[in-house]
Amino acid sequence: MNKYLFNGLYVVAGLLVVSAFAFKIFQPIQVLPRMRLAPAYSFIDQDDQEFTSEAMRGQFVLYSFIYTNCDEPCNTANATLQEVQSRLNEVDLGDIPVSFVSISIDPDRDTPEALKTYGSALGADFNQWKFATTTNKSLLKTVVGSGFETYYEDKGNGNFALDPGYVLVDGWGIIRAEYRYSTQVSDADRILRHLGVLAEEVKNSTGSAKLAYEAAHLFLCYAP
Amino acid sequence: MKLKIFASVFAVILGLVFGFIYLRPHTFHGTVIQSPERAYDFTLTGANGDVSVSNFRGKLVLVYFGYTFCPDICPATLANVAQALRDIGTKADDVQLIMVSLDPERDTPDKLAEYVGHFYPTFIGITGTKEQLDEIASLYGIYYQKTEGSSATDYLIDHTATLLVLDREGYLKLVFPFGVTSQEIADDLKYMLRQ
Repeated sequence: MNKYLFNGLYVVAGLLVVSAFAFKIFQPIQVLPRMRLAPAYSFIDQDDQEFTSEAMRGQFVLYSFIYTNCDEPCNTANATLQEVQSRLNEVDLGDIPVSFVSISIDPDRDTPEALKTYGSALGADFNQWKFATTTNKSLLKTVVGSGFETYYEDKGNGNFALDPGYVLVDGWGIIRAEYRYSTQVSDADRILRHLGVLAEEVKNSTGSAKLAYEAAHLFLCYAP
Repeated sequence: MKLKIFASVFAVILGLVFGFIYLRPHTFHGTVIQSPERAYDFTLTGANGDVSVSNFRGKLVLVYFGYTFCPDICPATLANVAQALRDIGTKADDVQLIMVSLDPERDTPDKLAEYVGHFYPTFIGITGTKEQLDEIASLYGIYYQKTEGSSATDYLIDHTATLLVLDREGYLKLVFPFGVTSQEIADDLKYMLRQ
């Protein structure tokens, strides 16, 4: 009886050891899901310069959606971005740049000058934090509404219905996280943690997975 | 007793080696997307009439955005896909490449059909109005813009050069950057065709 018991225990112990090794070897690295492609765009930024999604290739980009005449929820969103920007040094990002892009849904009033004044009031470093929009309202709706899946509607008299949120896009132009609902962890904490996860992913990636960060120009067929 | 232990250890090691070689998940060469939603369905015009992405449910659909005057990257990508399909053999019947021309001014449906047919007989070329293309390209993450060209080409079009793969159900599954080889494309397609 004891012999069978011991043999059984040996088998169970052996399986546990093998399982532990297998888990150690095959355990998936923590990753954020690759949700869908971020929409492509060609907008005008706060300096009246063309600003395109392709320029963001190879960077982590945190998108937000605003209009300069908006108090809430825009103020809260901006405060979160300011906090993330000021705490970026808490995350080991390697050499990967992080950018912030605030897209205005009110191109009639949010001219480049208005966006620049708005950004300056926030203390934004325009090398890292862009404010952009387009007067092509149909394309704007495609990009913000369909592409970033952020609801907004012009209510007239300068008022908009806007669902606040942020969208995190990786260097491949793939949406990796959306922040639309409050949780017990602050948005800034979640965003910083996710930036760290993405940086770790890039660090551990090999082959074509690294291309977007090392050779972003290969993604664009451009006139020689 | 020792023989039993040795045999057991040997069996476990053999199992691990077998598992590592044959049961490990496929490593994709393209970047995998885990989208919970089907890719945006669109309809544009080809030489034989309207073509929708959803017409090809049940097949893998490769979507590529380019134009026939494209000097290098577009033909290189199409040639790579054609070679990958030849490598796959008869299973290539379950793969459909659709090239969306971003240059509707010059790329008529007939001209597109002739162009893509040079690469592989089943390739389809489609295009539409600028408004349609703006929307479709944006939602597929494709930036494009007209730029100055030489006297021979008049103008060129800068565009994102990724190759996109939709699975049999119409979900965007893979993104290939420019530069992947035909063998790498074939490897990933073969794996997806087994699913």
